[in-house]
Amino acid sequence: MKRDSYSLSRRDWLKLSAAGVVGYSMSGWLENLANAAAQDPQRKRACILLWMSGGPSQMDTFDLKPGTLNGGPYKEIATSAPGLRISEHLPKIAKFGDRMAVLRSMSTKEGEHVRATSLLRTGYMPTGPIQYPTLGSLVAKEIGSDEAPLPNFVSVAPTRFFGVSGFGPGFLGPQYAPLVVGETNPFMGPNQGTDQSLKVQDVDLPRDVDRAHAAARLDLLQDMESEFVAAHPGVAPLSHQTAYNRAVRLMRTEAAKAFNLEEEAPRVRDAYGRNLFGQGCLLARRLVERGVPFVEVTMGGLNGGAFGWDTHQGNFDRVKQLSAVLDAAWATLMTDLKERGLLDSTLIVWMGEFGRTPRINPQQGRDHFPNAWSTVLAGGGIKGGQAVGSTGKNGTAVEERPVGVSDFLATVCLALGIDPSKKNNSNVGRPIRIVDKSANPVREVIA
Amino acid sequence: MRSLRWGAGPALLGLALLCPPLHAGPPRPDAVADLAARIDRHIAAGYAARGAVPAPPADDAEYIRRVYLDVAGHTPSAWEVREFLADKSPDKRRRLVDRLLEGPHYTANFARVWRDLLLPQNNNQTARFFAPQIESWVRVRLREDRPYDAMVRELLTAAVVPPNGPPRSTPGGPAFDQGALAFYQANELLPENIASAASRIFLGVKLECAQCHDHPFAQWKKNQFWEYAAFFSGLRPQVRQQGAFSPAQDNGERHEIKIPNTETVVQARFLDGKQPQWGDKPKVRKTLAEWMTAPDNPYFARATANRLWAHFFGVGIIDPVDDLGTDTLPSHPELLDELAAELVKHRFDLKFLVRAITASKTYQLTSTATHDSQNEPQAFARMLLKGLTPEQVFDSLVAATGYRERPQGRGMPPGFGGPNTVRSEFLSKFANASDKRTEHQTSILQALSLMNGKFVADATGLQSEGTLGAVLDAPFLDNRERLDALYLAALSRPMRPQEAARLVPYVTKGGPSGDPRKALADVFWVLLNSSEFILNH
Repeated sequence: MKRDSYSLSRRDWLKLSAAGVVGYSMSGWLENLANAAAQDPQRKRACILLWMSGGPSQMDTFDLKPGTLNGGPYKEIATSAPGLRISEHLPKIAKFGDRMAVLRSMSTKEGEHVRATSLLRTGYMPTGPIQYPTLGSLVAKEIGSDEAPLPNFVSVAPTRFFGVSGFGPGFLGPQYAPLVVGETNPFMGPNQGTDQSLKVQDVDLPRDVDRAHAAARLDLLQDMESEFVAAHPGVAPLSHQTAYNRAVRLMRTEAAKAFNLEEEAPRVRDAYGRNLFGQGCLLARRLVERGVPFVEVTMGGLNGGAFGWDTHQGNFDRVKQLSAVLDAAWATLMTDLKERGLLDSTLIVWMGEFGRTPRINPQQGRDHFPNAWSTVLAGGGIKGGQAVGSTGKNGTAVEERPVGVSDFLATVCLALGIDPSKKNNSNVGRPIRIVDKSANPVREVIA
Repeated sequence: MRSLRWGAGPALLGLALLCPPLHAGPPRPDAVADLAARIDRHIAAGYAARGAVPAPPADDAEYIRRVYLDVAGHTPSAWEVREFLADKSPDKRRRLVDRLLEGPHYTANFARVWRDLLLPQNNNQTARFFAPQIESWVRVRLREDRPYDAMVRELLTAAVVPPNGPPRSTPGGPAFDQGALAFYQANELLPENIASAASRIFLGVKLECAQCHDHPFAQWKKNQFWEYAAFFSGLRPQVRQQGAFSPAQDNGERHEIKIPNTETVVQARFLDGKQPQWGDKPKVRKTLAEWMTAPDNPYFARATANRLWAHFFGVGIIDPVDDLGTDTLPSHPELLDELAAELVKHRFDLKFLVRAITASKTYQLTSTATHDSQNEPQAFARMLLKGLTPEQVFDSLVAATGYRERPQGRGMPPGFGGPNTVRSEFLSKFANASDKRTEHQTSILQALSLMNGKFVADATGLQSEGTLGAVLDAPFLDNRERLDALYLAALSRPMRPQEAARLVPYVTKGGPSGDPRKALADVFWVLLNSSEFILNH
């Protein structure tokens, strides 16, 4: 069992406090560290997952079939990569065509939201007793640091109240659970407003608790906890301890300031888009700048919500609106990362749980379609400017280079410098690979 | 459990013969003690087979807290603990259970347990809208001590269309029941959804996979699924509209269904393959309900017994609890069969099983580990740690801190337009992050909420009007007694010697600022933030 780090630092902290240093952070060093990290060529990779909840329509985003029976009204536009054309409603991100690889031949078997979400996010079907970890937890374990002040995995606005499977650390344990912000769920009242909801709540000491007592409390708690954990081996008390350790770490340092979006200039916040997804992408950039290796930002709708891309009705109007939000946020994210020299070391993954039917239904919508759909990989580790795989003239089936969920996740691992065949111990005793061994990664897109 | 000293036994017996019983509780059939003993025998046989060494018995403090949480859904108050610890009667543990089973908290707690079961597993927002109605439907029946099988039959055959005109808003009306309708509406009135739900909840058989293709892990074929769903084919799914739910239709005599995306029409057939005998005017759902709850149905009684076992032990004899339809083996097959048989024999009186389980030595083992073999969950060699539901967390905090909530106005519930209450904010923060109660996980945000959030801050502030305030203001207590009062309120036990050795001096010295009042507040904060508080052990 690991030695808890916070009680060591408490002594340093008390010294600082006694010396009259205001605040209980080691101010300054974190910023320096982040800057150094950005310039360091050995800098570890980071990953930002843009999760499109509901199943985005590939024929109206990255794999258009204009002029065909089911093509719909959208036109194609050129991107900065010759030959690569995408939806006219994604003009800003089109400028980064040379940095993105579009996988047009995704083909999976699950067409129900909750199961498909779990499948795509863990690589395994959510059946039986095994608790498969989500991608963020797997990556956090491989490339995260145990000593980092910020958690290694942050999840912005996940749509978990539809089912927790596929959103947690599973058998990897509570240490790899995400810090969640911006979560909406049915018990909460009217939207708090994006600023408030993207902050880490309760990270400051209450006003009338002085720091000396706060430190004394933690010491006493530590005594109690070690006795209890020793007498009660198991996940639950360990998880409690881990959560507290990380919570204290978050409180102790400047780390939580990453979540203060007010520090950004208004025009920057406007560029990302004043909605939950846009501001979530801004937050992702700030977290990656500060060394967080995995951030996922869920787009559940135009401003929060869930399954917003599930356009069974009014597909074309809806996708146009969603595309505008997506375009602004994603393109600004890419621009910012590039300006900060972080694009080469940050992998961006764009995906949902499945695609949508070529056939347009009577409500002018498209329905679930896992048979042939698209995902996009961009940024670090990716050979951009290309589309892999084809769904033929009508998009009704994959014609070339099918990519299953394991193939896809193995590709993500390789782009991040992670070995997909590495095994972790599962909760049923059997070691389980990060990605199933049948995986055939799309090496053509790996830089 | 303490046994009587030899001298006292005959004397007490003599007294008992002379005096009438002091407590007119429910009759104490030997059946409870009998079944408890049989449970223990089966489990003990399991120890031998596994080479497991059982933990020692739990002491009274551990027992009262555990039983309060499991039965009543919250921790006991300090004075309830004091009374129980001081009570010298030999059967006090069983009488405690009897008392709790007659109380309102039992019905409230178990209404929530069944509600969570009855709601669709994917927890979508629309379904949660129906949660309060489903909960109150169950609560009414629990209060009436309705036998479980009757309750299930009532739900499965409930009218979903009012006989005349729009639905009445009063629940439990003669023919039309808003609460039962809520269950159907939560499942979108789709035959396949209701069928899956009924099978999962009441039979412990998870059929969902077989909806689209033959089940990968069990013997269920796709056709079988739809033959079973056909029992609900008379229900007309509601049309989606903004906000409102259109009234459903129910053709009670229909028993065939077309498998979606095919031209195949199948007839209703029971899961065990038997064909129902349809008369002239068949009551289709009633036929299914009777098959499902029949004493010889291979799943119903076992699934129910298994669920109850899992509630009290954290893990079922078959785990996961909805795996009865697969190859998963029960850890103690004869025990499960015996519990099922007893349920049937006692006409599905769930309270009987609760009494027997809580009276068993197995249930009363401590949760402190004394041997590695006790870490195997299904050895049941010690009590496993169980997570609390969000409601239990909040209700236990309220019990410990003496919090008084301001009365809320009526109107839409929180999350659907109504304002957040302290309670609803808690419920949302403490939603479970793991599906397994024995692997309960605390998140960073929950930790921060308990450490710095307003509720605990208020309860541990010097201006507190609840428990801490009372302890600080009591003039006739010394520091040790004040500390014990805080321990009793938060952890349902007094301090252990090593804790007293640490904390009494801490409080006397007054902590970093030399103020004993602040030091006491510190200790209370620590107790409320501990694993021992947030877990059921």
